[in-house]
Amino acid sequence: MNTSAARDQYKVSPVRRFLRHPLLAPFNSTEAWDRLASVANPAWSLSEPRARVVRVVDEAPGVTSLWLKPNGRFNGFRAGQHVLLDLDIDGARHARCFTLSCAPRADGLLRLTIKRKDKGPVSTAAQQLQPGEVVRLGQAMGDFSPRNTHAKLLMISAGSGVTPMVSLLQDLLQDGAEREVTLLHCGRTAADLIFADELQQLALRMPKLRLHLHITEAAGRLDAEKIAQIVLDWTERETLLCGPDGFMQMVETMYAAAGLGEHLQSESFGRRAAPVDPDAAQHAVSHGNPEQVFTALAGQSLLEAAESAGLKPKFGCRRGICRTCQCRKRSGTVTNLLTGQVSGPGEELIQLCISTPQSAVELAL
Amino acid sequence: MSSKTMSKTRLDADSLARFEAELDALRLEVLEDIGERDARHIQRMRSIVQGSAIAGRGLLMFGIGPISWVAGVVGLALAKIMENMEIGHNVMHGQYDWMNDAALNSQTYEWDIVCDGDHWRHSHNVEHHDHTNVIGKDHDFGYGMLRLSEQQRWSPSCLLQPVWYLLLAMNFQWGVAVHDIKIGRFVKGRMKKAEFRERMRPFLRKAGRQLFKDYVLFPALAFWQWPRVLLGNLLANLIRNLWTNAIIFCGHFTENAQTYTTREVENETRGQWYLRQIHGSSNLEGSRFFHLLTGHLSHQIEHHLFPDLPAPRYAEMAPRVRDICARYGVHYNTGGFWKQYAGVLVRLVRHAFPNRVRVAVA
Repeated sequence: MNTSAARDQYKVSPVRRFLRHPLLAPFNSTEAWDRLASVANPAWSLSEPRARVVRVVDEAPGVTSLWLKPNGRFNGFRAGQHVLLDLDIDGARHARCFTLSCAPRADGLLRLTIKRKDKGPVSTAAQQLQPGEVVRLGQAMGDFSPRNTHAKLLMISAGSGVTPMVSLLQDLLQDGAEREVTLLHCGRTAADLIFADELQQLALRMPKLRLHLHITEAAGRLDAEKIAQIVLDWTERETLLCGPDGFMQMVETMYAAAGLGEHLQSESFGRRAAPVDPDAAQHAVSHGNPEQVFTALAGQSLLEAAESAGLKPKFGCRRGICRTCQCRKRSGTVTNLLTGQVSGPGEELIQLCISTPQSAVELAL
Repeated sequence: MSSKTMSKTRLDADSLARFEAELDALRLEVLEDIGERDARHIQRMRSIVQGSAIAGRGLLMFGIGPISWVAGVVGLALAKIMENMEIGHNVMHGQYDWMNDAALNSQTYEWDIVCDGDHWRHSHNVEHHDHTNVIGKDHDFGYGMLRLSEQQRWSPSCLLQPVWYLLLAMNFQWGVAVHDIKIGRFVKGRMKKAEFRERMRPFLRKAGRQLFKDYVLFPALAFWQWPRVLLGNLLANLIRNLWTNAIIFCGHFTENAQTYTTREVENETRGQWYLRQIHGSSNLEGSRFFHLLTGHLSHQIEHHLFPDLPAPRYAEMAPRVRDICARYGVHYNTGGFWKQYAGVLVRLVRHAFPNRVRVAVA
C-alpha cells in the first residue's frame, strides 16, 4: 500500500514520458532550444541552472567575490552549502565547488568567494570573470550547518574557510541571533583576513557573537593549545571547522584526542591531492565503491597493472588509438607514455593503456 | 595494377625513426594548440545539425506542396550526413573528449544511424584504425562482400560484385550496422549460436528504434500528411547512404591504396604503423563545405595518422604531412572526388575478375 503510493508519487505521466523520449530529438532537446534562446539571453535555459555575474569584488590579495544572479532553474540554497561553478576554459568545461559566502537573500543574489590557487584553472578563470558574463551552476549541495539548535556554537576557520561561517552567521542573524556563538578566524596577515569588516559589522548587530580574529604573523601559529586558551569552554561547544588541509587535521586531532570527535563537523575544500613522486618504484591505485586498491609499477601502464591485479577493464588496441580503455581519473597525476605529457592532479579522462602513475591515483573503473 | 604501379615505400631503420619523430612532433604541436576554436567548431556543427533536422523534419511533416517537400528532404539529409560524419564519427573517436562535455563523450555518444554505437566503437576504432587495410583483420576492407585486392580469393560470385556494390551503397547504413556482428563467421559455423544472439541484440534494438522513428513515429505525428514524411525520410536516408558510401570507399579503396598481410605487420613500430596508414588511405580535394560534408574524411590520410585530433585540424596539417611524405619519398595519394571515385569503381570491376597474373604471396 505504502510502496505503491510512493511509486505513484514519482510516476511521470505517460504524456510527459513520451514528450521526453530521445526518439523525438532534436525537437525535444532542451539543449537545442537553449542554444536558440541564448541568442536572446545566454542566461536563459530550459534545464540548466545558470547565472549572470553582476559584480566582482576584491576581498583580499588573491581573493575575489563574485555576485551572481541565478536563472529560474536554480532551486535556492541553505546557509553553509556550496555550488558547482562550471566554466568554459579554452573550450573545455571545468567545474569546481565553491562555498556560498552569504545567507539566502531577498533579491536572490548569490555570492561566491574564491581564493586563487596555483594551477587551479577554475579559480584563476573565475577571478577573471567580468560583470555581464554568464556561467553554469550546479544545484546547491552539502549539509554543513549546526545540528543542535540549543548548544553554544564555536566556529573555527582559517583563510578562505571563513566563507561558510559568514553565510551561517548571516543566517543566524536573520533567525533572531538567539544563540551564543564564538568565531575564531585566522589569517596570515591583517590584509589576508577575508571579511574582517563584514564580521565586525555582524558582531555589532549580534550581541551574542564573540569574534576572535587571529593573525598568525603577529600572534604565532594557531595550534591546539592556543585554541584552548582563547575559547576556554571549547569542550562544551558544538564546533564547525573549515580551512586548509593541515589546519583541519590539527583541529581534528585535537578533538579526537579529547574524545569529542562527534562535537566537530568539518568542511573540506575538495580532495587532498596525492604527492607526486616520479622516482617511486610503485604507486597505489584505488578504485570502486567500496574502495579497492592495487599497485602499479613505475613505467607500467595502468591497464597492465589492473590486469595483473586480476581486474578486467575493457580494452582495444592497447596503443592509444581506439580509446576503448578510456576511464575517468578522480585524482592523482599520470604521465602519457606516448607523448610524455604529465596530467593535472584533478578529475579528467585518461586512456589506461598509455597512462602510468606519478602519484597515488584514484580511478572510476 | 595498383600493387605494381605504386609499390610501398620501404624506409631504412634510421629514416623510419626520423619519419616517426617528425609525425609525432606535428601531432604534439597541434595537440598543444587545441582549445576554444575547436570547441566553437563542434558547437556550431551541433547547431547546424539540430537546426536542419528541426527544419527538415518540420517541413516534411507540416509543409505544403512539393517545394517544401524537397526542401525538407534536403534539410534532413544534410542533418543526417553532418551528424553521422562531422559529429558522430569524429566524437566517437574521442576528438572532443578533452572538452569534458557529457554530450560529446566518445564512449557514450549515440548517433542517428541504424549502427549501434558500441558496435561501431569496436569495428571502426579498434579493428579498422589499428589494422587498417590488413586483409583478414580489417573488416572494413571490402565489407566482407567485395573483392578489392588480389590477395583476396576469387570466386565466381565475384563477377556480380558491381551489383552487390550498388546494393551496399544504397543500403550503406545497414552494411555498417551488421559489420561488427560478423555474420560470416556464424554462417561458416565459426561462432556459437549463443554468441551470435548476443551480438545481434544491440543491432536489433538500435535498428528497431531507427525504423520506428523514421517510418512510424514521425509519419504518425504528421497525421494525414504521413506519406510525404515516410517517403521523405526514406529518400533522406538513401541520400545519406550513397554519399557516405562514396566518401568512405574513396578513403581506402582507390586505385593506389595498398593492402597488407598479417605477416607484414607483425611487430611493426609506430613509424611503420604511420607508413601503413598513409599507404592505405587516400585524400579528396575540394572546398571547405565539401570537407565539412565528408566529416573531414576527405583528409583520410591525416585522419588515419591522428584519429583523435579534432577533424578541422586535418586541413591545416595536410600540407605539412604532404611535405614530410615528399621528403621521405612516401607516396601521398590525393585527387578530386570524381577522379578518386572513378578509381574505386575501376578497382571494383577489375577485381570482379580473377587475377591475370599469379602473384606469389609471401
